[in-house]
Amino acid sequence: MTLLDFARGPALSTALAVFAFGVLWRLVFLVLLPRVRDRSAPRASAPTAFAGMVRGFARHLWPRATFAGSSMFTTVNGYVMHLGLFIVFFGLAQHMLFLRGLFGVQWPNLPSGLISAVAVITLASLGLALGHRLASPVLRLISTFNDYFSWLVTTLPIVTGLLAVSHLWAPYETLLAVHLLSVALLLVWFPFGKLMHAFLVFVTRSQTGVRYSRRGVVT
Amino acid sequence: MAASETIGEELLRRGISRRALLKYGAYLASLMALPPLQARAMADALAAARRQSVIWLSFQECTGCTESLTRSFGPTLEDLIFNMISLDYHETLQAVSGEAAEQARLAAMRENAGKYVLVVDGSVSTRDGGVYSAVAGKTNLQVLEETAAGAMALISVGTCAAFGGIPHAHPNPTGAVPVSAIIKDKPLINISGCPPIPEAMAGTIAYLITFGRLPDLDQLRRPKSFFGDTIHDRCYRRPFYDKGMFAKSFDDEGARKGWCLYELGCKGPVTYNACATLKWNGGTSFPIQSGHGCLGCSEPDFWDKGSFYRPLSATTAHPARTVGAAAATGIAVGALGAALARRAKHRALTGGEKS
Amino acid sequence: MTNPEPDAIDRDLIEGLLRELAGHLHALAEHDLTGAIDLRSLPLTDVQLDGLRERLGRGEVSASFDVAGRSEVWETRYPGIWWIRHYDGLETVVVERIEITAVPEILRAGHADLAAAAANLRRELAVVEQDYRAEVGSHGGI
Repeated sequence: MTLLDFARGPALSTALAVFAFGVLWRLVFLVLLPRVRDRSAPRASAPTAFAGMVRGFARHLWPRATFAGSSMFTTVNGYVMHLGLFIVFFGLAQHMLFLRGLFGVQWPNLPSGLISAVAVITLASLGLALGHRLASPVLRLISTFNDYFSWLVTTLPIVTGLLAVSHLWAPYETLLAVHLLSVALLLVWFPFGKLMHAFLVFVTRSQTGVRYSRRGVVT
Repeated sequence: MAASETIGEELLRRGISRRALLKYGAYLASLMALPPLQARAMADALAAARRQSVIWLSFQECTGCTESLTRSFGPTLEDLIFNMISLDYHETLQAVSGEAAEQARLAAMRENAGKYVLVVDGSVSTRDGGVYSAVAGKTNLQVLEETAAGAMALISVGTCAAFGGIPHAHPNPTGAVPVSAIIKDKPLINISGCPPIPEAMAGTIAYLITFGRLPDLDQLRRPKSFFGDTIHDRCYRRPFYDKGMFAKSFDDEGARKGWCLYELGCKGPVTYNACATLKWNGGTSFPIQSGHGCLGCSEPDFWDKGSFYRPLSATTAHPARTVGAAAATGIAVGALGAALARRAKHRALTGGEKS
Repeated sequence: MTNPEPDAIDRDLIEGLLRELAGHLHALAEHDLTGAIDLRSLPLTDVQLDGLRERLGRGEVSASFDVAGRSEVWETRYPGIWWIRHYDGLETVVVERIEITAVPEILRAGHADLAAAAANLRRELAVVEQDYRAEVGSHGGI
């Protein structure tokens, strides 16, 4: 069995299984956990919980002017990076084929040159994010292994993917195998590290929205 | 022909001038990407060489390799290879049969001990002592070991002899192995492909006769001059791959316009062979030019790498069942954890009331 | 079928090859060094190959012969630059190369061929002489 056979076969199957297990475990556990009821009386003009949730979510999509100075960079850079990841993951034909193999759905792809350009921008954005984390004393103080490792497993697939499409440094079969293995690593780490925010961001931001609207906190 | 006669003398006797060898030298240099000025030295070397004794053994195979070597040739120039070798044993091509044929093999082995080239097509059965493929009561395994002992070099022709090929494919009922798994103490060249490109076979044999040594080989012991690049590297559809323009089905508009066949499962990017440059049937075409993706037939275990039509970037396994089971377990563990937490909370609350 | 006219990229590539040929020709003229370019090992399109052939043109000498398949050899407009093409039996081009030399090796008679020809001619003459003697002996017995 070659490295590519291993990557396309057992490695990805196992990683997908770990991913599915971990994500569902954590989500089901969190949803079914007993909750503490908010026994405080809501303010008079408090909106419904649903309206509060939507408003809170929308409100957090962009920083208020007061916080613009401190959080504009992370907000914009975050958008660039996340949109970039989205475009690269769903736009490249090879990725669509990977997902088609799993779910049987397909869609038109974007030109590969465009994807490469977006991937380079995404990579630069990830670089800036790491630089910002290292440069800020406060951020550095509160950063843990989880933050750095989550950054690494996100960055690796982009680097190896760019190498694979450009056929640089090693034969394609090796580059493709390394790329697939880096994705397997991402999938395995995903449910247990901070990458889980891809699912949990909807829960946490909604909850914040509901709470703040009940009490009338300006965010 | 006298045993001591050189190739040059024999051609001369038949009224073929040295120009033929010069042409062949130029052809071989071009084929194997050697410096073009070497053509003359190669012609001289060929003229001075003796005809190379070749013993060809066929084991678990389909005769496609022999068909490829003998049928795809335009006559004349490439034919010269048959003036350079003395094919002393080949079950399909030789006129004699039975005892006489075996005697011819043994005689060639005796007369050219240590000097003959052994060509093998087909894989070797090893299970149960190799009884699944035998000729005249002798297993392929025995014949191979016996014949390889006195050979100067071995050439495994075709993916079966080189890597086990189709007989080796899962579940491999005969315990088929490649020649290299059995003969480990001789110089060995693999010319894989199902079948191999005729020019690759003839060119490698001619190189061996001309230079008296093995050509540069890759890590799978294939001549780099034929197996140095992937099909994808030299494919005329490559520019469309780079742009992300893919045919969606066989013979759709994109496929006809020459768009890349990656989505249809082409294995060109991971297959090393010269199909895209030398092509087949005298340079007429090759599979991708005919609209079908590469099957990867010159690579080990090409038969067992998932479907021929599954794109390279898709998983080979169909993980629905394992992933489904993992997901169900995840839900169960999550629910169980939450239930335990609820019970703990309930106990804490009721316990608190009692005290 | 005629190929389209070479575009800018094609012309650049042809220019590059011509410069290489000029270098070879200089080496031949000054230092008696021969050279050769295997055109089939270069990633040339048919348009580029045709363009190069037309650019080099045809000079004074051309030859064709049939040894293990047909061959065409001609001197280009630049003496010393020879275009050489070998076909197989199916009229497919199997070798296409440029040689930079005074006379291409393939046109020269080989040493072994010369020796064989000399022996053959002598043998033929010997046969004629024998026949002559036999004839003279039978008719004109003095």
